[in-house]
Formats: sequence, C-alpha cells, structure tokens
Amino acid sequence: MGLIKRLTDWIDCRIGIREIVAKELTGYLLPKNINVWYSMGSILLFIFGLQVVTGILLLIYYVPDADKAFKSVTFIMNDVPFGWLIRMSHAVGSNMMVLILFFHMLSVLFMGSYKKPRELNWLSGFILFNLIMGISLTGYLLPWSQLSFWATTVATNSVSSIPVVGQFLVEFLRGSKLVGPATLGRFFALHVTVLPLAIAALVGAHLFFLKRTGVSTPPFGDKESSVRWQGDVYRYEDHPGGIPFFPNYALQDATSLAVYLAFFLAVVFFDPYLFFTRESFIAANPFQTPAHIKPEWYFLANYQVLKIFPNEFIGLSVQGAAMTFLAILPFIDRGDKRHPLKRPLFMVMAVGGILLWIGLSIWGHYS
Amino acid sequence: MVDEDRRKFLGVCLGGVAAAAAVAVSYPVYNYLAPLQQAKTAGKVVIPEQEVPVGGAKFFEYAGSTAVLVRRQSGDLVALSAVCTHLGCIVQWEKEKQDFLCPCHAGHYSHEGAVLSGPPPKPLAKLPFVVANGVITVG
Repeated sequence: MGLIKRLTDWIDCRIGIREIVAKELTGYLLPKNINVWYSMGSILLFIFGLQVVTGILLLIYYVPDADKAFKSVTFIMNDVPFGWLIRMSHAVGSNMMVLILFFHMLSVLFMGSYKKPRELNWLSGFILFNLIMGISLTGYLLPWSQLSFWATTVATNSVSSIPVVGQFLVEFLRGSKLVGPATLGRFFALHVTVLPLAIAALVGAHLFFLKRTGVSTPPFGDKESSVRWQGDVYRYEDHPGGIPFFPNYALQDATSLAVYLAFFLAVVFFDPYLFFTRESFIAANPFQTPAHIKPEWYFLANYQVLKIFPNEFIGLSVQGAAMTFLAILPFIDRGDKRHPLKRPLFMVMAVGGILLWIGLSIWGHYS
Repeated sequence: MVDEDRRKFLGVCLGGVAAAAAVAVSYPVYNYLAPLQQAKTAGKVVIPEQEVPVGGAKFFEYAGSTAVLVRRQSGDLVALSAVCTHLGCIVQWEKEKQDFLCPCHAGHYSHEGAVLSGPPPKPLAKLPFVVANGVITVG
C-alpha cells in the first residue's frame, strides 16, 4: 500500500491526478434517480473495444483476396488455436453491438433525452448508428462465403434504383459491374480503417457533447420531468446532491457489463452459429445464387420494404424519409415534456414504429 | 470496523475474479498468437540428385529454416544450414570461389561451412543426409 501511495503522490505532484479523479470520477455527480439504461453507452464502448481487439487479431490470419479469403477464415476457424473463439466473438459481437445500440437509442427516445439542449448528442449518435450499420455491412462480405457474396450483391444493388446516378453509384461502390475481388478490396479498406476511425472520432464527439451538456435527468421519480433549459445561454446541467460516478455508477456499469457478457458468452459458447445460415459455410460462387438469400436480422425490415413497393426507388425513398425523420427528431419534437406517458403522440408513433419494424422483419424473414 | 473488513473481503474477491478473467482471456490470446506448429514431415526433405549440379548449390526449406546442399567438383555432397551464425541472414553460394558469402556483414564460409573470415562466431551447422537410388534425403 505504501508503494502505491508513494507512486500516486509522485504522479500527483506533477500532473495533479487527484484533482482529476475528484473532478471526473468521485466528484462527477449524476442524477439521484439515474437508472440502468444509462449504462448502455458504456457497454457499447466496451463492445467497440472488443471488436477492435478481435478484429486486429483476425487480421493476423485473414487474407483479403477473393481466392484466399474464405480459405483463410476456414483456417482461422479450424486450425488456429482458439481462432474459432476470436472469430465468433467478432461475429457475435457485431450483432450484439447493433442490438445494444437499439436499446441505447430506444432508452434515449423514451426518456426524451434527445430533446434540447442535446440535439448534438442525438445527431452524433445517429451518425454513429449509420456507421455501425456500415461497418456491419462491409464486414459481412469479408468471409467471402455464399451468404457474404449474395447479401452484398442484393444490398449494393438497391442503390441502383436511385434515378440517373444509381447505376454509376453501384459500380463505384463495388469497384466493378458485379460484386467481385475489387469489391472485397474496397470493403476491406472501409471495414478495417475508414469506418473504425470514423466511429472512434464520432464516439469522441458524442462523449464531448455529453461532457459539455451534462447527463440528462431521467424523467421518472422525484424530479420534475420537463426540459429545464431555456435556450438563452450555455448552461451545464449539474446534479447537486447526486450520486458520484465512481464508485457508485461505475459499479452499475460493471454490473450491466457482467450481464451483457453472460448473454454474449452464452451465444459464443452454446449457440455460436445463431447468426449464421447454411450459406455462411460455402465459399462464394459468383455463378450460383442460393435459393433464399436474406440479409442480417437488422436489415430484414429494409429488405422487406424494398420487396413490398413495386418501384425500388419508392421503397428506398420511404426508408430515406424514415431515417431523415429520425435524424432530425429533436428539431421536430420540440415540446418540453420528457416523461413518455406525458407524450401520447410520441408514444403512439414510437410503439407503432417499433411494432412495424418488428413486423416487417418477421415478414422479411419468412417471405 | 465490520464494514471495513467486508469491503476489504469483497475487494479481494473482486481482484481474484479479475485475475481469473485476465488469465481466461490471456490463455486463448497467447495460443492464438503463438507460432503455429509446422506440418510434421518426420523432419526429412527429399531432393533428386540431378537438382544439385557439380560445383553448384541447392537451397531448400528444412525444419522451418533454410538449408543448402553443395556438390563439390570432386562430386562430394555437403548439407548445411544456410543461416549465418552471425545475425541470421541466409548465406549465398559463390560458385566461382566455391565458398559461401553472407551479404549482410561479409562473413565468409568454406564449402564445408567453416568460418574463413568476417564476424560469424561459429561454422554453419552440418545436416545429416543419405543418398540412395538417385535421391538425397536430408534429415
């Protein structure tokens, strides 16, 4: 103990570490009625870290070459010690990241935390959501399986319905007329450099906005549930008399993380192929389209929307409109009320939207 | 006082769990990163005799490293490790001089692997081989 204290003193004399701890951890006060949903961001940060680490480990053996990619993934799965664990953690982790991201967004929606003055938090989070979808889509192609190949063919093809520039955009995206070695090169570069860097930067911005504006107060419990900010001047939302981040809420973060890990590891160890189909285990064959090719579960609703509308462009426009609405929600929904039960219109739209999304996904799965 | 003991106990438990988790994570990661076992070929390499011309050398992979077979003008064969004993570069066969040169720091070895000049501290390791039915089996 003496040594740790002496070392802390030594560092403290030089950079004032105790002051930082007092300000950012033990003295960083959070609302008294803060709840478990506020720990979703920490879980997401952890998952992103784990994806980066497992991704780097996969890069050691993965070969981004159309002739070798599938073989290299098979090699990782069958011959490299614990290769299956690293790969499954990465594949399952990506699905889990999308799932937790949904939870995070839904909690923010229902607790009205996206409202002023947190529009920038919402926008940065919304861009992050799109980047996560992008990194999932580009990663999907890399194993170069039948599923990878044809899911990417269908996904990239939907862009062609954009009038005038559609076909050009598809070819630009693919690097060739059809999905092929050029697409793998592009998607690989996006997946391992561009998108992770963009995500890291956006996470930084997201946390910066959170730090500057302050944590929102949950609209439940003893506090009044309306927006207090008047919109006149910058004001940090502090929580005098609140609970400290460390150790109190850090413990909640750790607990949530432990629960997450339990579910995550249960899938990795007991049902690792939950998110895989038969086509995931067959090498890509550009001359043979499998019978029922489906995208990942989180793209099923989009896939079904494209099928419902007779014109692909209309289908794409509907999705674009829905996404734009979601992106600019804080600027449309400008009421002060944050408690979900005091926002009946929001509740109807949110619950209706979620049911519609689930319905479309199930329809897409069985269609 | 009781609370302090309880806190300390829980802290130790938490530390133990964290240490166990660290080991559980480190073990697979270490094994994943450790060099893969080479396919075992009983440590033997088979080379047809005609691939080693008189006065020439034949470089090949042997036991995860590089080795060389040399046939002298007299027809005698020598099998050596081709890894320079100085800093691990691969030696080159100089046909005209009938010796080995390590291009990294100008170490010279005789055709039998003995150090002639330069920084190498030891001769090149000799490898066992047999010749039968026009085939050289090294190892």
